[in-house]
Amino acid sequence: MKRIAFLLIAVATVAGVVAFTAPASGHADEAASPIASPIYGVKIPAGYRDWKLIAVDQLLIPGMADQLRAQFGNDLAIKAFKEGTLPFPDGAIIAATHWTRVPSENNNEVLDGPFPGAQSFVVGSPVNVQFMVKDSKKYAATGGWGFADFKDGKPGDKALHETCFPCHRPAKDRDYVFTRYAPAP
Amino acid sequence: MKRIAFLLVAVAAVAGFVADSAPASGHADGEAAPIFGIKIPPGYRDWKLISVAHEEGNLNDLRALLGNDVAIDAYRKGRLPFPDGTIIARLAWNYVSSEENNKVFGRSQSFVAGSATNVQFMVKDSIKYAATGGWGFAQFKDGKPADEALLKTCFPCHVPVKDRDFVFTRYAP
Repeated sequence: MKRIAFLLIAVATVAGVVAFTAPASGHADEAASPIASPIYGVKIPAGYRDWKLIAVDQLLIPGMADQLRAQFGNDLAIKAFKEGTLPFPDGAIIAATHWTRVPSENNNEVLDGPFPGAQSFVVGSPVNVQFMVKDSKKYAATGGWGFADFKDGKPGDKALHETCFPCHRPAKDRDYVFTRYAPAP
Repeated sequence: MKRIAFLLVAVAAVAGFVADSAPASGHADGEAAPIFGIKIPPGYRDWKLISVAHEEGNLNDLRALLGNDVAIDAYRKGRLPFPDGTIIARLAWNYVSSEENNKVFGRSQSFVAGSATNVQFMVKDSIKYAATGGWGFAQFKDGKPADEALLKTCFPCHVPVKDRDFVFTRYAP
């Protein structure tokens, strides 16, 4: 009987662990990229589109860029954001997804009645996705962060990646991370 | 031996179910919204992202649409109508210019999510909410539900997108 009880506990534990660690979904197009970013060697982490949301923002440079953006974090990153842990622990990954911002004519037409003058903007097409990967030893020269920029699954060139860290340096007191966690309404 | 095997399967199934249905974080709130009786679903802030939006004009906010697992699965498979159990959360924050970011870039180009304004939910239950396209609606501000008058405006506004099961937001690729 003891042996059966042990078996039950063992199986239950394994089942629990498997259920807990199973990836939420398997998107073929979100599989890990075979190509790594220059300098840092960062690949697209599998399943990042399913990570939890850190915040949203808009980049607006008139005539050059108009984007809606979302930042996602893996579990280590989200935990650090929620607990205000700085610096971020090794293993933390932040993903920044950028889309074009486009007016939603369909929404505006519908909303004009109840919300006169509604100006609804939604995401258009994907622009790029960027990652910051924390490894305080491997990336010691760049504040402990490795950087990556991908467009259509292809990494940006070396010149582009050389601009990442200098731009993030002014946010040193926030461990080089611009984004703040958006509170639950 | 057969009995042991059955027990093993049963225990494994229960363990898997418990692990799967555990809320990601605890934001459970007490008060329910009028008309539809919807409470804030625990852990909704940790749900997966459907898309992002920006309302200019009077609302002037940045928005994130999050979905529970049923909703996300339906979006990805293009399943319409959404199945019962679907919940879509619309979070909104004041649209603010980020002074700290703009200082770095040397120009005003970064607009971020400021303070939270409110959160809305659409809950699918084709029987309970048959009179409103199968959807129940709710809005909360600081944990308090909006009044009946406001919630009466939800469904009429969503009627024009009937061909998308009354849901405005499309999944962001």
